Amino acid sequence: MGNGTLETAAPTEARSRNRFRDGGRWMGFASAVPPALVAAWLLSLLPRVSEGRPVLWAVDWAPTLGVSLAFRIDGLALLFGLLVSGIGVVIMLYAGSYLKGHVHLGRFFLYMTAFMFSMLGLVLADDAVALFVFWELTTVTSFLLIGFTHTDPKSRRNALQALLLTGGGGLALLAGLLLMGLESGTLRLSAMDPVLIQGSALLPGIIVLVLLGCFTKSAQFPFHFWLPNAMSAPTPVSAYLHSATMVKAGIYLLARLSPTLGGDPLWVWSLTVAGALTAVIGAAWALRQTDLKQMLAWTTVMALGALTLLLAGSAPISLAAAMTFLVVHALYKATLFMVVGILDHEAGTRERDKLAGLARAMPLTAAAAVLAAFSMGGFPPFLGFIGKELKYEGALALVAAPGVAAFGLVLASAGMVAVAGMIAIDPFFGRQRKSVSARPHDPPKSMLAGPLLLAGLGLAFGLAPGVISGPLVQPAVTSVLGGPATVKLALWHGINLPLVLSIATFTLGVLFYIFRTPVVAGLNAFVGRLPMTGERAYDGWLAGLKALAAWQTRILQGGHLRVYMATTLGAVVALTLFTLFWADALALPAAGSPSLSILGVTVAVTAAAGAAIVVTTRSRLAAIGALGIVGTAVAVLFLMHGAVDVATTQFLVETLVVVLLAAALVRLPRLTQTPRRNRRARLRDGILSVGAGLTVTLVMLAVLAEPFDRRVTDFFEAAAWPEAFGRNIVNVILVDFRALDTFGEIAVVAVAGMGAYALLKGGMAVPKQPIESLILRTATRGLAALLAVFAVFMLLRGHNDPGGGFIAGLIAATGFTLLALAHGVGLARQALGGAPRIVALSGLGIALLSGLAGALAGGAPFEGLWLFLGGDPAAGDKGIPLSTVLVFDIGVFLVVVGSVLAIVFGLEEEA
Amino acid sequence: MTSALNLGAALPEIFLAVAGMALLMYGVFRKGDTTTSVGWMTVIAFIVAAIFVVTGETNQLVFGGSFITDSFSAFAKVLILAGGAFTLIMALQWLKAEKIARFEFCIIMLFATTGMLMMASANDLISFYLGLELQSLSAYVIAAFNRDNLRSTEAGLKYFVLGAVASGLLLYGMSMLYGFTGTTTFAGIAEVIGAGHAGTGVLVGLVFILAGLSFKVSAAPFHMWTPDVYEGAPTPVTAFFAIAPKVAALALMARVLMGPFYEMADQWQQVVWLVAALSMFIGGFAAITQTNIKRLMAYSSIGHVGYALIGLAVADEQGVRGMLIYLAIYLFMNVGTFAVILSMRFKGRATEQISDLSGLSKTHPVMALWLAIFMFSMAGIPPLAGFFGKLYVFLAAVQAELYGLAVIGVLTSVVAAFYYLRIIKVMYFDEPVEAFDRPSRATSAILGICGLFVTLFIVYPAPILAAASAAAASLFQMPG
Repeated sequence: MGNGTLETAAPTEARSRNRFRDGGRWMGFASAVPPALVAAWLLSLLPRVSEGRPVLWAVDWAPTLGVSLAFRIDGLALLFGLLVSGIGVVIMLYAGSYLKGHVHLGRFFLYMTAFMFSMLGLVLADDAVALFVFWELTTVTSFLLIGFTHTDPKSRRNALQALLLTGGGGLALLAGLLLMGLESGTLRLSAMDPVLIQGSALLPGIIVLVLLGCFTKSAQFPFHFWLPNAMSAPTPVSAYLHSATMVKAGIYLLARLSPTLGGDPLWVWSLTVAGALTAVIGAAWALRQTDLKQMLAWTTVMALGALTLLLAGSAPISLAAAMTFLVVHALYKATLFMVVGILDHEAGTRERDKLAGLARAMPLTAAAAVLAAFSMGGFPPFLGFIGKELKYEGALALVAAPGVAAFGLVLASAGMVAVAGMIAIDPFFGRQRKSVSARPHDPPKSMLAGPLLLAGLGLAFGLAPGVISGPLVQPAVTSVLGGPATVKLALWHGINLPLVLSIATFTLGVLFYIFRTPVVAGLNAFVGRLPMTGERAYDGWLAGLKALAAWQTRILQGGHLRVYMATTLGAVVALTLFTLFWADALALPAAGSPSLSILGVTVAVTAAAGAAIVVTTRSRLAAIGALGIVGTAVAVLFLMHGAVDVATTQFLVETLVVVLLAAALVRLPRLTQTPRRNRRARLRDGILSVGAGLTVTLVMLAVLAEPFDRRVTDFFEAAAWPEAFGRNIVNVILVDFRALDTFGEIAVVAVAGMGAYALLKGGMAVPKQPIESLILRTATRGLAALLAVFAVFMLLRGHNDPGGGFIAGLIAATGFTLLALAHGVGLARQALGGAPRIVALSGLGIALLSGLAGALAGGAPFEGLWLFLGGDPAAGDKGIPLSTVLVFDIGVFLVVVGSVLAIVFGLEEEA
Repeated sequence: MTSALNLGAALPEIFLAVAGMALLMYGVFRKGDTTTSVGWMTVIAFIVAAIFVVTGETNQLVFGGSFITDSFSAFAKVLILAGGAFTLIMALQWLKAEKIARFEFCIIMLFATTGMLMMASANDLISFYLGLELQSLSAYVIAAFNRDNLRSTEAGLKYFVLGAVASGLLLYGMSMLYGFTGTTTFAGIAEVIGAGHAGTGVLVGLVFILAGLSFKVSAAPFHMWTPDVYEGAPTPVTAFFAIAPKVAALALMARVLMGPFYEMADQWQQVVWLVAALSMFIGGFAAITQTNIKRLMAYSSIGHVGYALIGLAVADEQGVRGMLIYLAIYLFMNVGTFAVILSMRFKGRATEQISDLSGLSKTHPVMALWLAIFMFSMAGIPPLAGFFGKLYVFLAAVQAELYGLAVIGVLTSVVAAFYYLRIIKVMYFDEPVEAFDRPSRATSAILGICGLFVTLFIVYPAPILAAASAAAASLFQMPG
């Protein structure tokens, strides 16, 4: 408990000028009203529910999902609801005084109230999704409560730990609940058919998921460690969380699902083993603590283990034991926590070895502590005694290993006896220590009333067990059992095995208490040798997560584009292979594959050699040149397969790209140092390249194994001449069938050219010195002229033979580019006769006009109009064709020339 | 070019394109700084376009079947426009504070959004690529918009280079498809596949298209660009990237997979399964050590895409519905979170470190509360909206018996919860450092709207559920 967050009570009241001076108690009273009303309402339902008529209430919530906000109050829900609301009243009153003067008091009561109603919703909900929603709400609100005193870094860490474990378990629970809903066809818990679920193939999965949720929430082994850590919460919160709420949610759900899932060996054994281990560990660890609050927290772990163990069975006696012990535990645990809170408040410490002899100064507190401790230790005639007898009886009735279970419970209960002594005897009796601060005395009534009341109830119910057995425990057992049950609680059962075990427990417990120092030392030595604890596993897991994340960042996400590219390509290769493999589509072409021609092999080798040079060369220019070789080889491949147009385009684009890149690179500063890469990187890249190459080869082989779909080709081959008077399919498609698309495309080309030009020009244009080379200068003049003429030739023949506006444009542009490089931009501009932008724009205009002509003549836009001059129809000769299609192609030509040159000139003139 | 040109169906896109050009002219010819006026006019244009979308005709197949409007496209478009409008409003203030306010920013956002709307309506490989590239090219530019900033330009360049690779993959896949089915229209491809002519060529084409689209939605293992670009790009741009393009690309992915390739579901399901699982994994694990909140949000977005992809892996109406609901909720959570990130400024200087959020609950309690709600929601904790998003996709997965994917989803949610909750821890439990400047009024308003949506979704989820159901249903009934 932080020092700054508390104010000691009466003596300091005078100097406290805090405006919250009396606000605390007032707020505590106000906050106690809602739970009191709920408790009263639930009590009024008691007669009806105990007759076996549950209360139902439902509204549609997300109807498309079949989710409704359904509540159902049966015996089990009522028992839990009463605990939640009843103990809630006491805790609220207590907290009002305990936290008086705290600056965030309002926030505290808000969280508490929200938490309480979430818990109520959880135990009353009948819809699986609604239950889960409340389940997670309790997690979130308890997170806020646990972290309430957040000055302490440990408290922050622990709050996060609790949230992670229980929140994560909650998600698993959701998955389990949804699977149950899927198998039984309804999300109503009460309507789920055990037969359907028990018969499902998913049953093991459902059980594991549900148990993950319950075990994390109820701190079962191996998730038990978060609960004692969560002790950094203010004491009223701990008292509430441990006695009646939060950690009991898992127990509640185990009980609630017991009729549906219980009986399965996996369920029975998981609950038995986890419960027994948790109980023993809880008791042993409790003994080791020096902080009283920590000690109580570990006893909660023990109690939760015992409850889980008892719920493993489906015998009525085991369930009755569980339900009774639930009440017992709630009463004494809330009391003891509040007592420890009072000690902390009054004496300023919770350390066991600093507290002693306080009974004289605070007699009422001591009375509450002793009463509760008796119940905890299971002494007659307290309710705790009945609970313990039942526990033994119930454990002996278990299906799985009853003897071991009972033995575990005896050990754990003996530990409880010793702990009860340490909490109720040590601080209050013997000689008072000097280290205790100020003058301790009993706290105000509002803080004492709760502990005294609850501890007194522990005694009263023990003396008159009929008060709770008939109306409360029996209906709850009926709900858990899924059938009628009779429960009778009594102090005296005669001399039987449970009584013998009880006596053994007392003896062992008293021995533990008397020899507590060596026992604790022995336990500590034992724990120190444990290879792994839950806590260490959690820390290890977090450290592992962080290491994994750091590795990911360092290796994969290091900011290197090359690695990103490699990953992307590698992923594509892997995905392709994976899919082909999955679809069983890896195949080789049928026999009789085309024989290898010398030309084909030569081209392939050339391409490979080009690629090899690109990889190995240290010169950028050589790399670009070599890349050009690869491109050219590919163009030859196109040529060999009869795609003359595509090949031509490829040739020209390749040439132009090499020229442009070279022009750009010549201007770049020389690298002073060639980047060298280490062997590992080279190896990785090598493997990736080979992998990619192999994959593409495999894909090609598999694809070639199937017949090619020739429908597209066939259509255009058949339609090109009759409909568009052209034999060159590529050109016909471009200028006729899809002329509108082409128009859109050349518009983009023109805009791109101009945009690049504008960007490159920036401010002022400074023409650069042309490349000094006599050979280049002399050769280019003639070559450029030749290229210009050739371009016109290609343009005009394009519709029937390889050629067309696009190719022609590229040829012409290459000519002008050479001119610009050799003689400077000035001459090239002169030769062009106008700004490239204007050329491109006029091309666009011409293409548009040719398209509109078609529309004006009554056809669709961009439909070709044809005029044949001097043809001889009889001879099949149509004569010289003139058409708007040719005009359109001229437009394309101009756009390509203008745009390419706009970029080239811009590059050459860049400031 | 013979089919009827029903321009009315494409009214939102046409309106936006025309508005973009008009605003460009206005910005160029009007003297003085026009960023604010152009910005707000762009927002109005988004709103008008959204009205056109909602009131426009659905179930129209226009431009030769290459453009489709149905409830599905309408749902996606409204999300895209909302994402664009929200981020642009927040961007205006931010750009001004960073002194990089230029009206072109708004215009580029507008064109990017137009491209995304086209993606939502694409029903043909050509219109698919057209919309995608309009979006991508605009995105490259705004990623590098802060061009005097080294990180921003590097982000833009990386995005561009990797984006070009992805576009190359897409085109390669499309050409394979065209070659082996003989058509570019989705309906035509569906016909060929339905007739049993789908061979290896089609399959390989599909894989490449999926890889390209995965890049655009930043799904693992094609996510490499995301953290760097998200961190380097100006923050409002990051917010924009985290929302609108993902909606558009996921919508497109859904249309491609559930349309032409529906018959091949058992062959592509594995790929989507793998991509979804990897994304959830990366999104969960890699974010843990991040200290920069924008980088954290990058991983977060990768994870969320993974959850949304579960809906696609399911390959049925439930799954698509789950994905749409997920996206709608994701939009509000993300916009809200970025509203806070954009408000992270000390005396005019922007900061991106998570540790700077320390003690926000004391210095700006309302902002801290909203951010906590968004973080809880992203972690999938009920009763906030994010929980329902996850619930619907997980339910769909479980119903389709994809248990493995549901389990991975649940496990990675737990891991991801770790870093979301860490932010809450920092805000609520750590000691305050320095108070942020007061956020602008528009940003606060957006924060409030998103916060209320996320909190109150549980009370009245019906409109979103109904719209998503109708949208998912429309995707599975091809008109005509």
